[in-house]
Amino acid sequence: MSFEVFRDVAKPIIAGFGITSRRLLQQKEKRATIQYPEDRREQFTRTRWRHVLTRYDSGLERCIGCSLCAGACPARCIYVEAAENSDSDRRSPGERYAARYEINLLRCIFCGYCQEACPTGAIVLRKDFELANYDREDFLYTKEMLLEPIRE
Amino acid sequence: MAEMKLLLEHSNDPEYATLKGYLAKGGYTGLGKALKMERQAVIDSVKASGLRGRGGAGFPAWIKWNGIEKEITKPHYMICNADEGEPGTFKDKELMENTPFLVIEGMTIGGYATQSKVGYIYIRGEFVDACRAMRKAIDEAYANGYLGKNILGSGVDFDLYIHTGAGSYECGEESALMSSLMGERGMPRLKFPHAPLPTVAGLWDCPTIINNVETYSCVPFILDRGGEWYATLGASTKNSRGTKIFSVSGHVNKPGNYEVEFGTTLMELLDLAGGMKGGMLKACVPGGSSVPIINAADCERAIIGYEEMAEVKSMVGSGGCMFLNEHTCIVSFIWRTAQFYANESCGKCTPCREGTKWMFQILDRIVRGKGQPGDAELLVDITKQIDGRSFCGLGDAAAWPVAGAIRVFPEEFEYFIKNGRSMVDSAESRAMAPKWAQPAYS
Amino acid sequence: MAVDEGHRTVSVTINGIEIEVPQGELIVESVKRLGLEIPVFCYHPRMKPVGMCRMCLVEIGFKQPDGSVRMMPKPQAGCTLPASEGMVVLTDSESVHRDRKGVLEFLLVNHPLDCPVCDRGGECPLQNNTLAYGPSTSRFIDLKRHLPKAYPLSQYVMLDLERCIQCGRCVRFTEEISGEHELAFRFRGASMQPSTFQLLDFESKFSGNVIEICPVGALTSAQYRFRARPWDLQTTPAVCTACSNGCNVWFDHRAGRFVRINGRINEGVNEEWTCDKGKFGHDYYNSTDRLRTPLVRKGDQFVEATWAEAYEEIVKGLESAGKDVAGLCGTRIANEGLFLFNRLFKQVLGSRSVDHRWTRTLGTSRVQTPIAGIEGKKGVLVFGSNPAEDLPIVFLRLRKAATRNGTQVTVVTPDVTEADAFATVASRIGQGDVLKVAQEIVDGQSELARKVADCLKEDGAIVTSDRVRNLPGGGEALRLLEDLAARCGAEFNCYPTGPNAMGAELLGVLPGDGGLDTWGILQGCCSGTIKALWLLDCDPTTVEGGDQALESAEFLVYQGVTRSEATAFANVVLPMAAPAEQDGTWTNCERRLQRMTQAIAAPGDSKPAWRIFSEVILRLQPSTPFFNPREIMKAIADADPRFLPGASDLPEEGAILSATTQAAMAGDGA
Repeated sequence: MSFEVFRDVAKPIIAGFGITSRRLLQQKEKRATIQYPEDRREQFTRTRWRHVLTRYDSGLERCIGCSLCAGACPARCIYVEAAENSDSDRRSPGERYAARYEINLLRCIFCGYCQEACPTGAIVLRKDFELANYDREDFLYTKEMLLEPIRE
Repeated sequence: MAEMKLLLEHSNDPEYATLKGYLAKGGYTGLGKALKMERQAVIDSVKASGLRGRGGAGFPAWIKWNGIEKEITKPHYMICNADEGEPGTFKDKELMENTPFLVIEGMTIGGYATQSKVGYIYIRGEFVDACRAMRKAIDEAYANGYLGKNILGSGVDFDLYIHTGAGSYECGEESALMSSLMGERGMPRLKFPHAPLPTVAGLWDCPTIINNVETYSCVPFILDRGGEWYATLGASTKNSRGTKIFSVSGHVNKPGNYEVEFGTTLMELLDLAGGMKGGMLKACVPGGSSVPIINAADCERAIIGYEEMAEVKSMVGSGGCMFLNEHTCIVSFIWRTAQFYANESCGKCTPCREGTKWMFQILDRIVRGKGQPGDAELLVDITKQIDGRSFCGLGDAAAWPVAGAIRVFPEEFEYFIKNGRSMVDSAESRAMAPKWAQPAYS
Repeated sequence: MAVDEGHRTVSVTINGIEIEVPQGELIVESVKRLGLEIPVFCYHPRMKPVGMCRMCLVEIGFKQPDGSVRMMPKPQAGCTLPASEGMVVLTDSESVHRDRKGVLEFLLVNHPLDCPVCDRGGECPLQNNTLAYGPSTSRFIDLKRHLPKAYPLSQYVMLDLERCIQCGRCVRFTEEISGEHELAFRFRGASMQPSTFQLLDFESKFSGNVIEICPVGALTSAQYRFRARPWDLQTTPAVCTACSNGCNVWFDHRAGRFVRINGRINEGVNEEWTCDKGKFGHDYYNSTDRLRTPLVRKGDQFVEATWAEAYEEIVKGLESAGKDVAGLCGTRIANEGLFLFNRLFKQVLGSRSVDHRWTRTLGTSRVQTPIAGIEGKKGVLVFGSNPAEDLPIVFLRLRKAATRNGTQVTVVTPDVTEADAFATVASRIGQGDVLKVAQEIVDGQSELARKVADCLKEDGAIVTSDRVRNLPGGGEALRLLEDLAARCGAEFNCYPTGPNAMGAELLGVLPGDGGLDTWGILQGCCSGTIKALWLLDCDPTTVEGGDQALESAEFLVYQGVTRSEATAFANVVLPMAAPAEQDGTWTNCERRLQRMTQAIAAPGDSKPAWRIFSEVILRLQPSTPFFNPREIMKAIADADPRFLPGASDLPEEGAILSATTQAAMAGDGA
């Protein structure tokens, strides 16, 4: 084995294994990679991923179906249909609520303009980033999927 | 100069309210002379008298009379504005109750001069007594040929009708009065230059003369004794002639109607009313609630006259002179005034409708002791947004007292806003303040 | 409202630019000549200016003889100020901007900030003006005015008193335009609110307009309530197909579904107004009764079929009936569809029995006065029918003529009409007396006859509608009046009331020589002389003997937009596209040809009428089919030169077709 072979082939391999073995011995927290499905990274506070329709503490929906998010959306991926609250079927405070609220996440560019436009803070982009799906239809998120469950 | 009784000379004489008594005291000589004159000569003598409108604006009466078409193409109307709603003013009430024939004679002369065959007296609805007195006088005049067809055998016809208002201050504004008279909502109408003058298209789009009760009451004297004689009264002033009735009220010993010559000082008027009661003079509202308030120093130098009063940044207005003594809280006083205007705005134009209510809300807050820093400036800003921007004079009238009070007594407002209570605490100020605001006074 | 006093012009200086404007023109209109804008709320060009909102304040001055400019001490309302010689206007000065800011601050003091849930949000003049001229913040910290929200004034109009800015547009509309005086202000000052008398229902035939002219969301449509936001909507210019007036409208739709109708400006027709029937009467677009696929009868059942199967069935049915076929149609069909319908029967099938009329006695209409022309008439006789009901836009013109131009209106009708309010003479016709009264008027002896003669003596017109033919003796009465009009030099107008009835008449969708008319066809069905009947968007079950006729017809084709009673009798049911779902031209009652383009897709398999007929004709008689409505229009124009304007690009406001009364194509259809 000539010097050249050692210099150009063996030495980098040995150096490489050295890095790997050093990392192996390191503390778990300092590792560059994590065991993804089991372990999850803490996300940045202002991460913008999947939308959530929030509720007031009373359990009423914040969304009033005003369609401002749809108007602000540059990708035109939001569809809102409003309806009128009645005393027997009250979904949100005030006169109006969203009867249909759909976001086409295939189109969404997660710009967060909808969140900015929302006058009641109903639509917020949260940290759920696992959005892969098998069918195109499944990317059409309906109001039921977006709405936050009632906190007990 | 002391009291100069012209219109009110016989106001205490119950006989004067009857035709017999009126004639005995020289009544209807003015009309008699007028009917022998050319129509234009009547207007000329009113011009020579320098008579200006007594309703508040001080517009020369002869210009209106002269502005009416000389060749009749449409019926002409005379209207007497007796919708005296200005807080502090009660002169027309007394004139109508005690000297109704002066009004009737003045209107008849006007009717002759302007070729009007019909006159309307629009009396404030609350003036039941005045209305009755006028009614009685008109009936008497009809019965004796002083009204109706062929007055005094001269071939002149003049019919006079009474119309009572329904309780709106706004209907004292001449175009709103005409709307109300025509059966419409009592809202002001477009005025010159947006629409023709009332003398061209007023009531039912016909040429119309509209003057105040007091203005008409002056006319018989002008015709009787001559316009030149009338012009000698008040000659010391710049451009105000004749006498003016002031309804003096407030903290004075003898409140009531006092007739003075123009050129009299405000203090002389105060003396006529028996001087201040319960304390030193603090402020005066010289011409009815809508004119700006003036302080004691200005009262000292104020001379009664249309131009002279402007020098102390106030107005003669309709003559509702309120004297306030040193125990008066100006903020509460203005609160009352603002409440009146918020209540009386007709709602037609935005600045007056929203502005008067907002001003009242702010003053209400201050009087409750919950004023915010900057409220005084906000009030001044609002008055600037109303003044001159509203459809008719009511907006201006609502803005002036507030703006005037803050200009003259800024420290009282500052004190009330800062400390949540009045600078002046006394029985008077408590009486004026709203019941719920009493804690703010202790 | 521009007050044109003769043709004199005056020179006005606006922001330093000198222009000539007609004397007396309102400043708010004059500045538009320079492309400038004065913001307004209460001002509306078609109503008298009032100067209530004070938004239009501008600085005004006058040029003095020495060349200097004397400014007026106070700002003036531009919406009420007529232009005069030497006037100087400043619309962009600092003080004007301050005034606008002040007025907007005042307006917003008591205006709730519920824009996100307000139906007007996005197309709201108050929003727009606030954005352009208003303050960015409010200094108001006190309690806002609280009043009832979403109060239903009528089944069409919702009132939200909190949002009202008291501009008085709605009140003035009911006073000046519709003349119903339904709305007025209650209370005064800051509590002032528009309302109906004692809060009764807002009963008006034109109530929808107040929704459009309201500068805020105080008056909103109950039908459109929360249906969409303006930015969700797409809009297409369209023609209203509720009646024969042919109003120009905006057809607003969202995601392929009809949402609402708004008025569109056409000075010749509706100016900018709509009637309630037009504005709220287009439910059928979204009806659950819409036909979506062709249906073929198999025994007692309808089976969904393809178009090919349906056509096969139709061809079989028509061929077995031979020449004993007939066609009846409604009038909500575009000219192109009617033309091919006519051609199918008269040319291809060789039948002469086609009709579009459904009145008790049949006749043709005659129209001499265009809608706008009514304004200039000196006297108008309204006979037999209520114009507000049958011809709403004609009614508005008539009212304008009477109230603004002093037209003398005489109303002679069986029932009380809205026109009585401004009529000089209103006379009632007793039951069954139409002919008698007409005879009386023509004889000229009675009091009424003298009044009518007086009304028509100079530049007069008679306004009536084909509804009169429903009254016993109505047809004869119309003939008498037509003669009377000819005698006294007045114009005679018997306006048709069906949406495209005038088009059907001009295209000759009428029985040819020896052909049967509507009643003949229905009788023919019963007696068996008509074996196959084609119903084009009409329902004979609503008329006398219709049920029986449909039952006895051997072969029945029902072609329509929605399901109806008649559908049940059909052998083949064909789904048809509604008016705004296809390209086509429409002829209104004054023969104005107007084009409507497709706004939304037709639901399901439905096809436009012209395509259906084109395809059926192709199956019956090999020929070159028509591929688009324009080709058909060319064919129509070839057959009848009156329709030539339709063959080229129609102007936006449409074109009035010539008045030659020859029923050009009644006989042959080619």
